[in-house]
Amino acid sequence: MKTSIFAAIGALFLMFATFSANATSLLISDAWVRAAPPNAPALAAFMKLENPSAIEITIVSASTTLPVNRVELHRTIKADGMMKMVLQKTIPVPAHSSTVLKPGSWHIMLIKPETVPVIGESVQLTLQLSDGSSQTVTAIVEKGEMKNKKMMGCGSGKCGSGKCGSGK
Amino acid sequence: MNTAIFKKPINFDPLLLIRLVGLLLIITGLTTGCNPSDKKAVTESATLLPKAKQIENFNLIHHAQGQSSGKFNKESIMDNWSMFFFGYTRCPDICPTALYMMSTMMRQIEDNPTAVKQIPQIIFVSVDPQQDKPEALQEFVSFFHPAIIGTTGEQSVVDKLVREVGAIYQRVYYLNENVVVFENQDSIPEQLKNAYLIDHSAAIYLFNPDGDLHAIFPMPHEPEVMIRDLAAIQQAWH
Repeated sequence: MKTSIFAAIGALFLMFATFSANATSLLISDAWVRAAPPNAPALAAFMKLENPSAIEITIVSASTTLPVNRVELHRTIKADGMMKMVLQKTIPVPAHSSTVLKPGSWHIMLIKPETVPVIGESVQLTLQLSDGSSQTVTAIVEKGEMKNKKMMGCGSGKCGSGKCGSGK
Repeated sequence: MNTAIFKKPINFDPLLLIRLVGLLLIITGLTTGCNPSDKKAVTESATLLPKAKQIENFNLIHHAQGQSSGKFNKESIMDNWSMFFFGYTRCPDICPTALYMMSTMMRQIEDNPTAVKQIPQIIFVSVDPQQDKPEALQEFVSFFHPAIIGTTGEQSVVDKLVREVGAIYQRVYYLNENVVVFENQDSIPEQLKNAYLIDHSAAIYLFNPDGDLHAIFPMPHEPEVMIRDLAAIQQAWH
């Protein structure tokens, strides 16, 4: 009897361990591309990346179905009294943690789009992970800081009353 | 018992008198010594310059939509409160955020015009005239709000204005995903001439109707806070 209980616990453990080890995919939510002028030379895509696994997941590159010149991983960093746009080789998502791509921080830069998508349009983005797999997400074109505020929780009430412009 | 009472004056802190006199002077200064024209606005976010800074005339170019290129100089900002931001159109993150915040601020003022004494004008100066042509620049900024003025000009003119307000920027060149530093403009290889991003200050610089630099709004540029600060600054101005 005892052995069978131990075996059952052991099996459960193994299942969990296997499950965790295999779950090297990201949970992606709130993907959006910031609405930009029709002649914008660059667009930025943002999203929340959650890593439920026990292993760090790294994004090594990104691509899009939107016709653009190229796609780059970037991070805005405050340093030397300036805001710096720094090209990144990877975007890491630590184990059991999340990385939020948002204005003023990590973002995916879509450079020289042939046509700039308008508000409400969707853009397919594919993230290449370091293990060779890839994940595709649909990002919606939205204006300003809306998603950003939602993602940050915005509990202060300071930004909650901010009305959004018509974006014309 | 008596000794205990007399102990206090012996331990009397000689600095106390100085402190009391200082405090008295401060109170007197606060209540009586202020000249109305010098009164300082109390702001939540904006930093007021101790004394508004005179800026030399600048000759930039502004291409109003549907019109030909015209001048944008110190004359263009006289008699108005003007908020300057320095950026470039290939900027994917900071500039659209600032433009969005300023356009939201403008729409909130339009909805409630009495929130400020005078509606400010918003000026986006491109520090990248090499790639930002006045017409395209104006089209870019107008997307955020039709009243925003996009302006740029000779690099040396832009640079002088940037320096005068105390802003900074630098071009950062990339070669195969690595930053490359060049000693001077001439040492940049031809194929990399346009392969740069620009790091830049992200503050908003407020000029008063005399055309002088008056206050600086640091990030984050929350529209409601900027409106309250602008109102306080305008109220305190002679």
